[in-house]
Amino acid sequence: MIAVYLCTAIAVYAAIRVIAERNTMRKLPFLNVVSFAVTGIIAFLLPHPITILAAAAYFVGSTLESNAIASTWAGGIRKP
Amino acid sequence: MTVELYTPEFVVGLIVLFIGTIAAAFPRPKNYLTQLINLEIPGWGLLLVMLHYNEALALFTFAAVSVLSTYIFVRVMQKKEGI
Amino acid sequence: MNDIVMIASGILILAGMTAAIFNRDPFDKLISLSVLIAGVFPFIVERGFLDIAIATALIAPLSTIFTLMVCRRVQV
Repeated sequence: MIAVYLCTAIAVYAAIRVIAERNTMRKLPFLNVVSFAVTGIIAFLLPHPITILAAAAYFVGSTLESNAIASTWAGGIRKP
Repeated sequence: MTVELYTPEFVVGLIVLFIGTIAAAFPRPKNYLTQLINLEIPGWGLLLVMLHYNEALALFTFAAVSVLSTYIFVRVMQKKEGI
Repeated sequence: MNDIVMIASGILILAGMTAAIFNRDPFDKLISLSVLIAGVFPFIVERGFLDIAIATALIAPLSTIFTLMVCRRVQV
């Protein structure tokens, strides 16, 4: 019962840090923190056995997305 | 089938749909990339409104077609601007 | 129990939408859009559509990756 509230507090705090940060490079770790906290919210929200599969799918998708943004921002494929 | 009137996803979805449509119609740095990113905001608002009416199959189809239309717009922008 | 979580998800959606509209850099807009997408998923799971949540979570990042194909970094 207390775990979902903790994940909610972490998600809102990290979202405020993402919005308020000026530098783009400092935004990216807090974007990962938002993704992990929302994964915890999804896993704890319903008492149903398939919920852990939805949490795993969201974990894979959001990690792929944020790492794609970071890779493109850091240079990506260099053109000659 | 009756649904209750004001669930939170209905109210939040309508707010996101209205403001996102205005933002997609008048993008602030007026180029194609800003308009394409702003176009994804009312898509998620429409998905929340569909969630209010329990339309599961429409929600799945809309998510798939949205990704496909984004790919088509990206190909058109690459062909037009020569990126 | 779920009311506080739903209010927090609404705060995530509205904050992500506001930041995605008012930022000017394309990468900042994509990061804020990712915060908006993170706020949508607890609403889908709370209704009980777990299969829709799995499918949407796996095909939603493809949209961002397709958009990143036309993003170029301005400053070096």
